[in-house]
Amino acid sequence: MAFAPMGPEASFFEVLERHRASLLAAQRGGGDPPAAGIRPASSAEVLAAIESVVEDVVRSLARREAPALALHDRASWQNVRFAESAGLQMAPHCTTRKVRSDSQRSAHKFALILKILSMIYKLVQSNTYATKRDIYYMDSQLFGSQTVVDSIIDDISCMLKVPRRSLHISSTSKGLIAGNLSYVEEDGTRVSCTCGATVVAVPSNIQGIRNLITDAKFLLIVEKDATFQRLLDDNFCSRMSPCIMVTGKGTPDLSTRLLVKKLWDTFHIPAFTLVDADPHGIEIMCIYKYGSMSMCFEAHHLTVPAVRWLGLLPSDVSRLHVPKDSLIPLTKRDLMKLDSILKRPYIACQPLWRAEMEAMASSKVKAGIQALTVLSADYLSRVYLPNKLKSGGWI
Amino acid sequence: MEGAAVAVCEILKYLIIHWTCEAGVSKGTLLEGQLMISIETLNSKPQANTLRCVTTIAPAGCLYSGFILKKFIKEIQSVLPRSSAKKLTWTSEENSCSQHASGLTPFQIIFEVDEEPRTLIRDCLIIKHFIRKVIVVHPKIRFNFSVEVNGVLSRDVFGVEKEPTLNLSNGIALVVNCRRYMRSNFGTTEAHCDRIHPVLGHPVTLVIPDDVAGMDLLGELTLTPAAALCPSQKVFSNQLSRISSASIFLYGPLGLPLMSSSWKEPTTAIFKDTSYFIDWKKYHLCMVPHLDLDLDKDVMLPDVGYQVGSSQQDQSQNMDPPGRTLLLFLFMDFHSGFPVQQTELWGVHTLLTTHLSTVLRESHSAVRDSIQFTVDQVLGQHHQAVKTQQKLKASLSVAVNSILTIVTGSTDGSFRKTCLQALQAADTQEFGTKLHKVFHEITQHRFLHQGPCDRKQPSPQEKDSAPRTQAAREHTCPERSAENKRLKTGVDETRAPSPAAAAARRPEPRAAPAPGAPSPGRGLEVGAGAARGGRGAGRPRGSSPGPLCSRRRRCGCGRSPICPSGCVPERGASPGAARDRRRPSLNKTAPHAAAASLNPGPNGPGRGRGRGRAREG
Repeated sequence: MAFAPMGPEASFFEVLERHRASLLAAQRGGGDPPAAGIRPASSAEVLAAIESVVEDVVRSLARREAPALALHDRASWQNVRFAESAGLQMAPHCTTRKVRSDSQRSAHKFALILKILSMIYKLVQSNTYATKRDIYYMDSQLFGSQTVVDSIIDDISCMLKVPRRSLHISSTSKGLIAGNLSYVEEDGTRVSCTCGATVVAVPSNIQGIRNLITDAKFLLIVEKDATFQRLLDDNFCSRMSPCIMVTGKGTPDLSTRLLVKKLWDTFHIPAFTLVDADPHGIEIMCIYKYGSMSMCFEAHHLTVPAVRWLGLLPSDVSRLHVPKDSLIPLTKRDLMKLDSILKRPYIACQPLWRAEMEAMASSKVKAGIQALTVLSADYLSRVYLPNKLKSGGWI
Repeated sequence: MEGAAVAVCEILKYLIIHWTCEAGVSKGTLLEGQLMISIETLNSKPQANTLRCVTTIAPAGCLYSGFILKKFIKEIQSVLPRSSAKKLTWTSEENSCSQHASGLTPFQIIFEVDEEPRTLIRDCLIIKHFIRKVIVVHPKIRFNFSVEVNGVLSRDVFGVEKEPTLNLSNGIALVVNCRRYMRSNFGTTEAHCDRIHPVLGHPVTLVIPDDVAGMDLLGELTLTPAAALCPSQKVFSNQLSRISSASIFLYGPLGLPLMSSSWKEPTTAIFKDTSYFIDWKKYHLCMVPHLDLDLDKDVMLPDVGYQVGSSQQDQSQNMDPPGRTLLLFLFMDFHSGFPVQQTELWGVHTLLTTHLSTVLRESHSAVRDSIQFTVDQVLGQHHQAVKTQQKLKASLSVAVNSILTIVTGSTDGSFRKTCLQALQAADTQEFGTKLHKVFHEITQHRFLHQGPCDRKQPSPQEKDSAPRTQAAREHTCPERSAENKRLKTGVDETRAPSPAAAAARRPEPRAAPAPGAPSPGRGLEVGAGAARGGRGAGRPRGSSPGPLCSRRRRCGCGRSPICPSGCVPERGASPGAARDRRRPSLNKTAPHAAAASLNPGPNGPGRGRGRGRAREG
């Protein structure tokens, strides 16, 4: 395969290979049965689902009853169950919220849900796509804010048990890819992510990409764009070739998560996260690995429980004697978030993560990846990451 | 106002003042009794086209012990020059009061006036209007008014014993029956609240200019405004969304109307400038003076009337049903550290009747602030309610159009057929019309603006089958309160497949405006709680108006904390009777009187009958 110049010698990846083998073995061994999640739906199925909702509304009106829409409550931990093989999933019998048409407070939301349903109906019928932003701008005065639109679209996806893509609502991705990967997009465009002067944006239609080709030994998921760019500048992809780097530029969007999931499902490449040693970074890592409460209804398409925490570990900060000047005190908000993460169901099966977080809590300091530049400008790409990858320094 | 009308009104005022002072009626106690007025006409021999009207005023009951004729004649004649009444005489029975259990009057006041028939008719209407104004603040006084002309007798009885009232103080109560103030033009199909829900303002001291203070008054003159919308904003209806007029009622001490001397120019000069006390522009209203001089109406005519200016009304609005009227009551009262004497009260009445404009002008700033604050409470709510109504209307339209888009755009014949058949529509156009109509009917029927009455609104089916009795118009039951609360939040929480267990919830108390309890001796009390040193005790004048209503019914059942109205229980009903759901009267003995807010709000009372935790939708 004609990719970037050769990276380290084959022995460098021995630990990685063993790790990959163990992941494959674990996967073959099976895990918890998947929860009743959503699956891609055809256009006809989506139209039928929307018509079913409307029919129920009309029947209510015919009975002289005020119609109401039942939405799964995506904001309650009571409706979330955890499975190590799949991450956070929506519980089979979860509570629902009724959005009534005859209440002063919810009548507007009831109308907005129907409005967006009608928009989706038209998109599906015409086989066109729109982003959430497009939906908002179709009637921004009515919707009021993008957040309202985003929330209702997720509610509809959960209510109809149909992924967002099947609703013909595409995601605008902000993620970036670099490394040993090529694919063909739905429209036939060939994309090669080989490290070079430019990076490739994560495509919005992950479900449509095909002919993925890679021989990467690992996938590095980078929290911040700044770190991603730094690694590019240091030619990390080339020196560690073959590998793939992805960044979601903070909290990952749907497309970035779908890409990571697709790469795992297709190639079973070991995935590692490189996040700041702070609660926010840990939470981002958890999103990639186990998913989020609000999107738990789509867990099977988004979570990669095989993700491992490569760095920056709180224990690395002390081990490497990072100067205290480079460390930042944890704020009250940080401590609250840390406490919240420690209470989540998945931490129970990650004792090493728990230990790292407890160490952070007791030290009351956090550190960004850029703190390693104190040791040397390219410490991250030339020393820290290579050593970690070679020695299996992930948890 | 001339002739018999002046004389009758002044005599009635005098009698009520005397009655209050001499009978030692204490604060918080309502005056109770009966007054009879009769006018008999004889042909006046000197003038063929005039009638000799013999007017007799006779109070019933033993209320006028200590009535001094000479003092009465002297004081009443000071105002009678305005009237052409002559031959004022007085008769009394020599028997003691105990022999008048049958209700025979102990004395009568008789005077004669020569009037043209047309003048007599007008005077009779003026007298009736005066009486109506008295009884809305003295609900336990009954008037029998009879007129005999050429052998034909007409008799009217004026009383409001069974009507809901809101107790203020000093023996004054305010009838809150909407129909007293406005003839209902909204038909019986519209479910609406037939009560007004006054918001009380804070009292302000009036400064009496030296040049008009004709007597030494050892006390303080105060003005307390109260405002309400009529009809009250209960149901979201296009008919009720606009303010079309304003009516101002002027009352002097002891809740006696201030009547201008001339009926032809009934408005006091100071109110001719509509914006002198009230800034209407902030509510996008342009008011112009307009007083309905048609006396032949059975509702209270205001002392000052405004109407929304013609520039704001186009032809289409003129075709619309009438909008709401802002009622503004200005209660002026006199207080001193000592029991107020009859002469002082009579003097204050005379002062206010003749120099009201001057007095109000002297305290313009304070009066304006108090009135504006009170009006803001009412119109602010209305404004918010209109905005909410408009938003809901827009939401309804969005929902209907969205459904229509899907139904008309569907290529699934069975789906379209099912939807059309459900609403019995022949085609999509008819479907759209029926969809809008049924949506509107269902949701608008259920969009109860959670006002203080919280009444059960009958469905169209129920209205047909159940007679609209007085009892049917009373309070909601707790189940209805819970239903209203559920409707308010818009969300039920259920756990599929079976609903989650529910826990009864305590009703969430509404935030009530801080009570503005005037210190004792002020003209207006806001309730027992405040007077007892509750939240409002000691609060300086100028603070927020106080809540007036009790949170508990007299029967002891908890009810909506929002209700602003007190209620005089039906005569004959025993205290604590649970059958009567009307609200208890607010007097000093009413518990928790200072707790609740006057302002109707969106929350309904919650008795916790919902299914599980309610969550916002």
